[in-house]
Amino acid sequence: MTSDNVLVMEKTSFKDAVTIAKKGTHCGMCRFDFLGSGVCPAGRKHGFLAYWPQGRMEIVKQLDSGRVKPTEKLKDIVNSCNLCGICDKQCNFITQLRPEKVAGALKEYVDSLDESEIQHVPEDDILHGLREIVGDDWATNDPIIISAYTMTILPPDNKLNYYVVMPENTEQISKIVKFANKNNVPYLPRSGGTAFSAAAPTVLVKGLSLEQGIIIDLYRLRNLEIHPDSQTATIGAGITMFELQKEALNHKLRALAAEAGAHVCSNILTTGIISTWGNKYGAFADNFIDLTTVDDEGNIKKHSDWERNNPYSTEPGFTNLSLTPSVIVTEAVVKLHPVFDDEEAVLVPFDNIRDAFRLLIKLGKRDVGLSLAVLSRKYLAEFLSPTIQISKDFDYVCKNYLKLNYVVAVICDQNDKKIVEDMVNCTIDQSLMKSLILGAPRFSKLRDSEFLKILSEEEDPLKAIFAGPMRKHLEKALDPSPEQVSKVFDEDLQDFFKKVYSKPEMTDIVWLHAFRILPTRMMRQQMFMGPGGAMWTGDEDHYLNWIQMFADMGDKLDVEHSLGFISPLDHGKFAYMEYDYYYDHNDPEERNKISKITVDSMEQSLVMGKVLTILNYLYKGIYRKEHVLYPIAKGISEEEQELFKELLGTVLGEEI
Amino acid sequence: MVKFLSEEWIEIGKKYMIEKLDPVKDLKSITTSLLGVVEHIPPDDSTMNFYLELEGGKLKDFIVNTGYTFEEKEAAYEIKGNYGTYKSVLKGEMSLGIAVLKNRLKVKGSKMAALKLIKPLDGVIVSLQEITDEFEE
Repeated sequence: MTSDNVLVMEKTSFKDAVTIAKKGTHCGMCRFDFLGSGVCPAGRKHGFLAYWPQGRMEIVKQLDSGRVKPTEKLKDIVNSCNLCGICDKQCNFITQLRPEKVAGALKEYVDSLDESEIQHVPEDDILHGLREIVGDDWATNDPIIISAYTMTILPPDNKLNYYVVMPENTEQISKIVKFANKNNVPYLPRSGGTAFSAAAPTVLVKGLSLEQGIIIDLYRLRNLEIHPDSQTATIGAGITMFELQKEALNHKLRALAAEAGAHVCSNILTTGIISTWGNKYGAFADNFIDLTTVDDEGNIKKHSDWERNNPYSTEPGFTNLSLTPSVIVTEAVVKLHPVFDDEEAVLVPFDNIRDAFRLLIKLGKRDVGLSLAVLSRKYLAEFLSPTIQISKDFDYVCKNYLKLNYVVAVICDQNDKKIVEDMVNCTIDQSLMKSLILGAPRFSKLRDSEFLKILSEEEDPLKAIFAGPMRKHLEKALDPSPEQVSKVFDEDLQDFFKKVYSKPEMTDIVWLHAFRILPTRMMRQQMFMGPGGAMWTGDEDHYLNWIQMFADMGDKLDVEHSLGFISPLDHGKFAYMEYDYYYDHNDPEERNKISKITVDSMEQSLVMGKVLTILNYLYKGIYRKEHVLYPIAKGISEEEQELFKELLGTVLGEEI
Repeated sequence: MVKFLSEEWIEIGKKYMIEKLDPVKDLKSITTSLLGVVEHIPPDDSTMNFYLELEGGKLKDFIVNTGYTFEEKEAAYEIKGNYGTYKSVLKGEMSLGIAVLKNRLKVKGSKMAALKLIKPLDGVIVSLQEITDEFEE
């Protein structure tokens, strides 16, 4: 068997490589070792995005479009890749793509070039100045290398009038900022690029991306030290959440977890780490003991400097928007939290959002559980399913037969587990979740089966399947095993995936919740934009109307959409909500629709009030959550609504 | 066409604003004053500022000076940024609003109140764009 989207030819043509590359979404999962299969040696050695699988995919796109011409560096990039296949394993697990085929096609393309087709790239004083700071190997103005940053920090259509610099410490970053200021060159730091990649194809591109100047790629700041005694970790800006979590777990500790590929320092700065663990572990400035930052004058500061002005406060109000970070966080000392021996996952299934929301907030206010979230059916299907088609079938079965539309996912100790179980009719336990992961292909094939038809006629299908006698029939029908699930992957990768799925952590919901490698499947072969924010939970109807507003906008513009998650914050007083719209990031028409939804939903959220949209807390993660969330926002007036429109009109120009 | 921040730039700018901008339609009858601080001016990395005052949408004062402050006048708002940012704004490559939202121009005082001025100030910017074509490199 093969997966949904696979090119099974020995050699891949350049045209087919472009087709594969266009489905890449810069998720960044190829830049750290999340499967125990190693990591791209070329990327690790050379650092620049162009040397990583995601960068090569972008280069193929850019060469195909004619935006960039071959340079000497292209040869170097191609020669650095030995087609080891690590990227195929990683990328196929998440997206079912085969970046090695793209790398192979790129090699052939370069081999076929005549020397006269290689463009010479002149150096200039800015480049020389940057090289004096970081060394010759770590600064470039080569358009091929720069083009790899498109769709993350660079807009798709700008001239490639940029430099990329890769400093290795805070002092170098300080010097770069001072040098940039003196020479009047704009700059923007880049970490994992995950936030940029969600925004870059859409309406926010003008505001969030770099229009020209210096990309400061922070990957080389790779310091990572765990301090078990103080339950803290010191991390450089190049460390991903996955890498921190892995080291922390070696000491039976855990970090507040967001996306696996997000760089922790950047994630703190960008949104204060939005996480399902936030109700227990905190948010915004709760996350860290200390930060080392470089401000826009190049001054190095620490939050712990007791003589400095209060670095934790920010101006309230809906117009306090910031589309670029006020500082570069180069190092953080973050809090870690104990991992308990009796932790377990409990999922409570629901057919409707109101009941799910009510349970979530009740648990949040009582501080039950370590991680708390309402997850949508779509989320669950994407996470658990190894291929796109299986996720669609999984979703269909849940919707049409089980009436399983939402789950409240709780990670907790045994005491809290008992509290949850006493509050509800039925739960999905760890054992059944394991069966659903290893039996996802069979589960999806149950659509239109007699078994499910009978089940759907039950008065309460959820209770019948998860707490009744039909559960054992379901588990039998799933026939869960690593062998079975691995068969849906490409034939040459099946042995590898059998081993992957045999690892205990791959079916351990607590581990998966903390390491977050599955959510990236939402980005497989298409992009999503997830507007939302944090809303006060005191008015249930108000909250649910807010969610409905997002759904209505998706329906109106005929965009695939779904609630992502809801997660409580500050002892259940607020709850984050992400509402997701899925689209083809290569299609300008689709992008325009998403742009319109992003702006309109933000405006409507502000009118409704009691909400802080994600744009309102963008780049405010270093402040106290009390300064960001309070005072609870009132609905804006008509006059303010006009101002908001003017403001966004200024920023977005004719995009909307 | 003149050089940014030169005396000639001020004089022609004043004339242009008075003649071409409608106090009500273009400048929304605003009464405000603004100190613009321009840092890192080539070739010697110097700092200059300009003071702009509007009353009822009419230009009252427009002065350029060296250094960070203009001691004779106290402005309601202060914006500070690199020479390169001002250059991008005056060349029409970047709007005033986006420069503020991207922190390229830093506003002293309430950002909310300052952003309310953006639309009227766009008219002033257009005027200055019309007369400015020479920058330090």
